[in-house]
This record gives sequence, C-alpha cells and structure tokens, in this order.
Amino acid sequence: MLRKEVNELLTQTDPETPMGDMFRQYWIPALLASELPEDDCPPTRVKLLGERLIAFRDSKGRYGLMDEFCAHRGVSLWFGRNEEGGLRCPYHGWKYDYQGNCVEVPSEPEESGFCEKIKLRAYPLIKVGDILWTHMGDKENRPPEPEWEFATVPAEQTYTSKRWQECNWLQAMEGGIDSSHVSFLHSGSLKSDPLFRGAKGNQYNQNDKKPVFEVVEADGGLYIGARRMAEDGHYYWRITPWVMPSFTMVPPRGDHPMHGHFWIPIDDHNCWAWSFDYHPTRALTTDERQAMIDGWGVHNQYVPGTFRPRQNKDNDYLMDRDAQKRGESYSGIWGIAMQDASLQESMGPIVDRTKENLVSTDNGIIMARHRLRKAVTALRDKGTPPPGRTTDHQMVRSAARVLPPDQPFKDAMKDDLTVRPGVKQTSV
Amino acid sequence: MAGLHDLFFDPNHPTLLSGCARAATAEEAAFRVQYPNSTTRSSRIFALDPAAAEAMYAITEDPWNNAHFLTVTATGVTASTRADDLPLCHPDGSAATLESEIRDADVVVLLATTGDSEGAAEVIARECFNRNIMCAGLALGGGQDQPGVDRVVNSMRRFARVLVVANDTDYIPAMLTALRA
Ligand code: FES
Ligand SMILES: [Fe+2]
Repeated sequence: MLRKEVNELLTQTDPETPMGDMFRQYWIPALLASELPEDDCPPTRVKLLGERLIAFRDSKGRYGLMDEFCAHRGVSLWFGRNEEGGLRCPYHGWKYDYQGNCVEVPSEPEESGFCEKIKLRAYPLIKVGDILWTHMGDKENRPPEPEWEFATVPAEQTYTSKRWQECNWLQAMEGGIDSSHVSFLHSGSLKSDPLFRGAKGNQYNQNDKKPVFEVVEADGGLYIGARRMAEDGHYYWRITPWVMPSFTMVPPRGDHPMHGHFWIPIDDHNCWAWSFDYHPTRALTTDERQAMIDGWGVHNQYVPGTFRPRQNKDNDYLMDRDAQKRGESYSGIWGIAMQDASLQESMGPIVDRTKENLVSTDNGIIMARHRLRKAVTALRDKGTPPPGRTTDHQMVRSAARVLPPDQPFKDAMKDDLTVRPGVKQTSV
Repeated sequence: MAGLHDLFFDPNHPTLLSGCARAATAEEAAFRVQYPNSTTRSSRIFALDPAAAEAMYAITEDPWNNAHFLTVTATGVTASTRADDLPLCHPDGSAATLESEIRDADVVVLLATTGDSEGAAEVIARECFNRNIMCAGLALGGGQDQPGVDRVVNSMRRFARVLVVANDTDYIPAMLTALRA
C-alpha cells in the first residue's frame, strides 16, 4: 500500500514536479541512434517527461533536441525542412539550429537582429552506443556522460530496442524488480524462448517454485537476490540490480546475452520501455540478433512503422487462451516483454496503490519506492543530487551463481555484480 | 498490408469500447470501485536487540492496524531455547509469550541491528516456519556493524522467506505501512 500523495509524488514527472526534477538530474535514453540515421535526415518527434520535443541531425552531423513547436505561430517542426545546418519551419521559414537558437526570420531585415531574441528550449543529445541520450536539467548540474556497460561494449556485442508502453513509468519499472512473478508469468517462456532456454539454471527455476528473497541496499539503488535450492544444500542465486531512478537488469542464463531495461516517462500515462541485450566478451551471433529483431527475449514485435507493440490493448495483446490451456504460456500472451506489458497496462494509466495488498516478498518494490521517495524529497527540500548519476553507481551487472548456504551474496558475489571489462558475466 | 487485417480483426473480440471491460478513456481505465478488498492483518514485529528496540519504539505510537510490537528482553537466548521460554515484552513492559503472539499472526517481521540475537531470530523464525507464517527479517545498518549483520542474516536465512538489509531505520515504518501492518 502506498498513500495517495506518495503515489502522486513518485508517478508525476512533468516539468516542475519533484519526480520530474529528479529525472532531469540524469542522462536518459531519448532515441535510438537509428532514428536519426544520417545528416539532414527527417526530424523525429519524441515526448519525454511530459515535454513534446523534436529531434534532428543537422548537415554537420550535430544532434539537436528541442521544443517541437515553432516560436512564431506554433507549428510542429516535424513538418520542417532539415537543411543547411538547421531545421526550418515550413510555414513562414523561421530557422533553428541544433541548440534551439533561431538563426533566420526571413520576414525581418537580417540587420535587425530580431532572430536573436528567439530561442526554443533545447537539450543536449549525445550518442553513446546505439542510443541518443539527453539531459533535460540544468547545465550547471550536468552529470558525467553515461557509461553503462551495454552501451559501451563494441557494437557487435549489443542490441537495443524500445517500445511504447501505455502506462505510468513506475508500475512498468516495478515489474523489472518484481522477481516473484517470474515463476508464474514467464514460466512457459523459460522452455521455449531461444534467448532463455537450455541454461542449467533454468532447472533450478523449474524445481523450486518458492524462491526466497534477499533485498540489499546499495549506494546507487538495490540488489534483489532470489534464492532457490541447488544440489547438496547449496543455493542458486539470481541477482537483479536496480539503479536509480529506473535502470534494471535481468539475471543471466547460461551463455545467453544478458539483458535489462530503462523505464523512461513519456508523460504520466505512458512510458518508453527500453530493452537491451549484450554479451560482455563476445559478439552476438546472427541467430541471437535475429531472435531479438523478431521480438524474442525482452524485445517485441511492432505495428509496422511505429514503436507500438504489435500485441497491444486494442487487440487484447492477441491473447491465446488455447496456448494458456495447453500450458505453453502461463497468461496466454506471447513473448516475455508483452506478458509484462499487458498486465502492467491492465492496471490502468497510473495504478491506484492505495488498494494494493503487498506481502513480504514485495520488499524489493517497497524498498525501491522508499529510496525514490527519500531521493526525491532530499532533492526537493535540500537540493541533494540523487544516487545513480555517477559512473561508479552505473558499473553494475546482474549475475547468477550457486553458493554455499552460509555465504551472503552481497559479499560472495561482489565482483560478479560489478562491471569487469573483458570478463564474462557470472551465470549458470 | 493484407496481413494487418488478419492481425487486428478478431471475430471473438468485437471492439465495443466501453461496452466491454476494455476501458476507452484514461478516466475509465483508472476508475476503481472503492470497496475494501482485504480485511485487517495481524502483524507481529519483534525487535531482537536493544538498538532494534529503540528504532522500533520510535514508531510504535503511530496509528497501526493490528500490529503488536514486541521486544526480546534477555540476551543469551540460543537456538535451542524453547519457544515458550523466549523472554518477550510489550512496549509497556508487560510480559508476552511467543505462542500467544503468533497464534493468529499473518505476518511476522524480525528487526535486528547486531549479530548478538542469532538465537532469538532462529527461535522465532523456526516457530513461524512450522506454523506456515510468513516471516521477514530486516537487518538494519547495512553500512555499519557488517560482520554482526551478516551473522543475523545468515541465521535467519534458513527460516525467513524474505530478508532485507537496510541502511536506515526509516525503512521500518516504510515497510510496515506498505504491508498494512
Ligand atoms: S497475483 Fe499479483 S497482481 Fe494479481
Ligand atoms: Fe517480467
């Protein structure tokens, strides 16, 4: 249960909201780099934290992200002409550079300097890995550029996708740290998904349906450990890291690539679910990459030409009751990503957390909300920068390992849970 | 584009918008009937050592639903101490017995700050395990007395379904509120 005012505090991210200010402390994924594939390519619209923005890549390859609407009479610059080092509004020809500066107002004499009075709100857009990142907060407080491992390994080792999810970011993110649903919702996929199946660890999952949880606070967020019985009284541990505000990783299986997510608010009723897959030490195979493109694992299929999942609420996510009956799929929905998204969207745009009946195994979620609340109030009341902005907090990995019963995972797996360049993930 | 029609047209799911459970607007999707969906739980919170008791006493006066706050009063409890012999008291100092406290409990939470209470943790957690009561352990001060906290965590690990290692005592009320204690 969460009181109404706390639920509002954590879920509202428009400008001038406390949680909105907190998201504006970080570099967040804004676009796939492939959405702006070349200089002077068509601009693209993106909404982030309640702000409607236009992104473009100018003639010199500089990325711009700014207010979508022309300062003259409010036309969407998506209709603009991207040419000669700027984006020109097609209505009366006002032109903007990649920093939102108006550089030309054709109706006014050039010498008047009128255009210098016009500037659209603009944010930096930088390419790290396959992603264009933005920081929507004050320039003076700009954190170091992102160094997440999935974005910094060589291109052939990593793959990222994004999809539109039609609910608030927090309930989507909470799914990423809700380890207790995996034994139910995704049970069918462990056997069939090409990016999951065949790992030795899967047997421990199948044999022990009642995992025990250990939630450990970390400087940048949390580690959520799920423990199942292995051989000889040993424990099979799966550790999910969460880094504030909304980065989660799934514990790996065998030598499969490891995956995780960013959950980024579009507005209070929608979010971007970013999903990545990477291997720290080898290239993804052709089959693996194709499986990701085909929507397996944490990825999904699309309505052509959009980032909306092919399975969505207008078609009941292509629910297959027969597959559910046959035991192939616990919920009847195809694919891990949409199994999660369908249920999270079913909660409504912002779930009413006053009606929840949480149990002790929900402690990962309870702790994450507690940490977010503390960070958001410390920022609001004292200006304290929140955790998760710095490289040391971002150097995390998920891990899976069999340990003797008397070893706390947080000590025994310290190295496994840390990025070690050139060292393979710890996995079973 | 022929494929799209096959994809989206499903004769079993005519689109009737608000005529079915697929809410058509955000308001509709967010709406919940305000009937209660649960009855009051009985939560029992045990502070296993003096520092844990101090942290617990800071919040026992808050309005809780049906939570009982208990303190293990003697040190020297070992894993072989009988459940009946576990020395417990209420916040007002009156004595309590483990049996009467957990007989009707739905949720048990153990609070510990040091490793000195291994024995008591085990006695209570074992009793919960035998009675099929969900037992959660909360080790406080993850940053400080590290070896001590590890000892508590290790002792509870065999019995508790959930263990939390929290840095600050402010997690106690946060967790109890979330659990409707
Ligand atoms: S069983 Fe968890 S939401 Fe219904
Ligand atoms: Fe999931």
